Amino acid sequence: MRHEKLTISEPNPNRADTRPMKLKNRNQTTASDAEPGPNHRVYYKRLFRRFVSLTIVCSLLPLLVVGWVINIHYTRFARERMISAFHNEVDHHRKIIELFLKEQSAKLQLIARTHALSDLVSQANLSRIFDLMNQEGWSITDLGVIGSDGSHLAYVGPYDLIDKNYSQTLWFQKVMKDDLYISDMFMGFRKEPHFIIAVTGSRNGDKWILRATVDTEAFRSLVENVQIGQTGEVYLLNEEGVYQTASRFGGKIMEKADFSPTGIHEGIHTKIVGPQKQGDRETPRQVVGLAWLEEPRWLLVVKQDFSETFNEVNHANRAMLLFLHVSAASILLVSVLVSRHMISVIKKRDMEVEHLNRQLIQTSKLASIGQLSAGVAHEINNPLAIILTERQILLDAYQNEPNLPEGFRDQLLPSLDQIDIQIQRCKQITTNLLRFSRRTESVIETVDLNRFVMEVVELMEREARSSGIKFFVDLDENLPPLMSDPSQLQQVFLNLLTNAIDAHHGKPYGSVTIATSVNREGPAEAPGIWLKIADTGCGISPENLDKIFDPFFTTKPVGKGTGLGLSICLSIIKRLGGEILVESKPHRGTEFRIFLPQRPPAELLRQMNETPKLRPIT
Amino acid sequence: MSGAKILLVDDEEVFARNMARLLSNRGYQVEAVNSGDEAVRALEGGVFDVLVLDLKMPGMDGLTTLQEIKKLGLFIETLILTGHGSIDSALEAMKLGAYDYLTKPCEIGELVKKIKKALGQEDAGDPLSDTTCL
Repeated sequence: MRHEKLTISEPNPNRADTRPMKLKNRNQTTASDAEPGPNHRVYYKRLFRRFVSLTIVCSLLPLLVVGWVINIHYTRFARERMISAFHNEVDHHRKIIELFLKEQSAKLQLIARTHALSDLVSQANLSRIFDLMNQEGWSITDLGVIGSDGSHLAYVGPYDLIDKNYSQTLWFQKVMKDDLYISDMFMGFRKEPHFIIAVTGSRNGDKWILRATVDTEAFRSLVENVQIGQTGEVYLLNEEGVYQTASRFGGKIMEKADFSPTGIHEGIHTKIVGPQKQGDRETPRQVVGLAWLEEPRWLLVVKQDFSETFNEVNHANRAMLLFLHVSAASILLVSVLVSRHMISVIKKRDMEVEHLNRQLIQTSKLASIGQLSAGVAHEINNPLAIILTERQILLDAYQNEPNLPEGFRDQLLPSLDQIDIQIQRCKQITTNLLRFSRRTESVIETVDLNRFVMEVVELMEREARSSGIKFFVDLDENLPPLMSDPSQLQQVFLNLLTNAIDAHHGKPYGSVTIATSVNREGPAEAPGIWLKIADTGCGISPENLDKIFDPFFTTKPVGKGTGLGLSICLSIIKRLGGEILVESKPHRGTEFRIFLPQRPPAELLRQMNETPKLRPIT
Repeated sequence: MSGAKILLVDDEEVFARNMARLLSNRGYQVEAVNSGDEAVRALEGGVFDVLVLDLKMPGMDGLTTLQEIKKLGLFIETLILTGHGSIDSALEAMKLGAYDYLTKPCEIGELVKKIKKALGQEDAGDPLSDTTCL
């Protein structure tokens, strides 16, 4: 099977270690990869909060401020528009009422000026005029002609008023003085709320009066039925604050309103009132428009609930605010999600960096200890050599001297043997140290790992059986041949198997599973194979797990282990371009998984070409 | 036994003395010196069959001594005996014509075996098979 045989020595113990381990399976490597500690959690929480608050300050706050400012401006603008629309409506309404009154007055004046009194006192003529006046719509209840003495000369209407004398009434005096008079609502002789329009006519300096009663219902419908929306109301007050038409909510005609007009003003006053208590009724906030009629001096009051007037504005407002806040909330949500994602990415990176750092530390520790060990091993070998020669001299002297006392003789040989045993032990330690510092030669050749495993397993089986341990071997038939160093691999394999067997110390039985497989989803993109050694032994406690590869770390009793086994394994495997992973559960067992590349790293091969090859001597 | 003449070079005086005594116990004529200079002078002054040379020595080290000897045209079978774990220098020595090498500490029996091989007294087989004793 030996296609190629190269022998090298390792000139630089640092070099192989500078190659960082691949990280895909990092959560199983050592305990050092555990979740970050509580300090880290606080750090990441703070980082998270900082991200989120940054988003809030940089995007949410501006959005909200701009949104609110736009909203306030829009609302103000829209309200102004609404108020001016309301204003126009009041103005329009006032004009309608004024027009109605003017129309009625003008009609009466026209009649009074175009007709002689003699024509008007005729009942038939007056009835015809009355009918003509109501032709376009019922607006006048009755029509009467009154002489300068205040008595009825003629009358058309439903009331029996022909014999009434008005000379003492206010309106009579006023119309005689001003020639046109529109009264406030009053009860009069008929005991019903009504108001009249009276004009004068004259013949030969003799004044007479044409008087019409405006139909209260017709007038009221003209005023009140022009209502605005659900909550609007329209009514008229006279200067004393008496209802001239009924208010929709409460005030009856001729009643005194609890609101008294203050001063006559031109134009229209619009104000926002409330909310206020009005009797037992709570009136909400209202928009009130006030406008004085020209003649008579009545105050047109138009009221509408604020909420209704500004319904559309408020609706638009709410929609906008809702949209604004939904956007803000989604930005917040997205920022939280993005921050969380970023934190997890950062956490992952940090863990990778931390892992790399640990490896770097481990590597440099190995390197410096390696250099130290090489020196120590050399220095110890010299005195050991002298002790050995001294022992040999003693042995020679003993063999040449037959006449030694019995007791001395019996003591000398076991002592010399013991010296030899202890020298061997020292030599074992120095050999291990030198091996650890990798000052031993390397041979790269083709290895059939399955056959190799079987050889080593057979070698160890006897020792295992005596400890009550069974080997289970699970080999992948399709394993490709490997270019590697069999003697170093053997070292690794023997160390791991010895540890696996020793881990069962104190247990009556156990098992060690050895498995090989082709690298399918491994830490390296390079093709390679996996070797698994799993035992059912005592396991490794989490606090020891990241120390097991440290040189001189051992849990074995004094004199039993040097604490170099796993350090040697790690440095060999790394040198061969592979890696070693460990997973362990205390009292359950430990599993070592070793990745070996199909070909050794180019660096190693290059080193081998630079160093002289061992010359085989024949 | 054979009475072959051996020159032993080691800066560790005690080691050199002990080795010389052990080898002479086994019938060799041994001269022990403690530096490369002395070794070259001894070689110039007399005839030796085998040179047992330490590599790491103060002053002229083993490799330099070997080069010096070569320069002087003195041919002698050389065994490198070193406590240094480095294989590099041993390989270097073998490039310079050394016959074989051993690492300290080493059994006297091993050394005698190698000496015999160097002297051609015994079938050596593969000289590399037992490079390290113990």
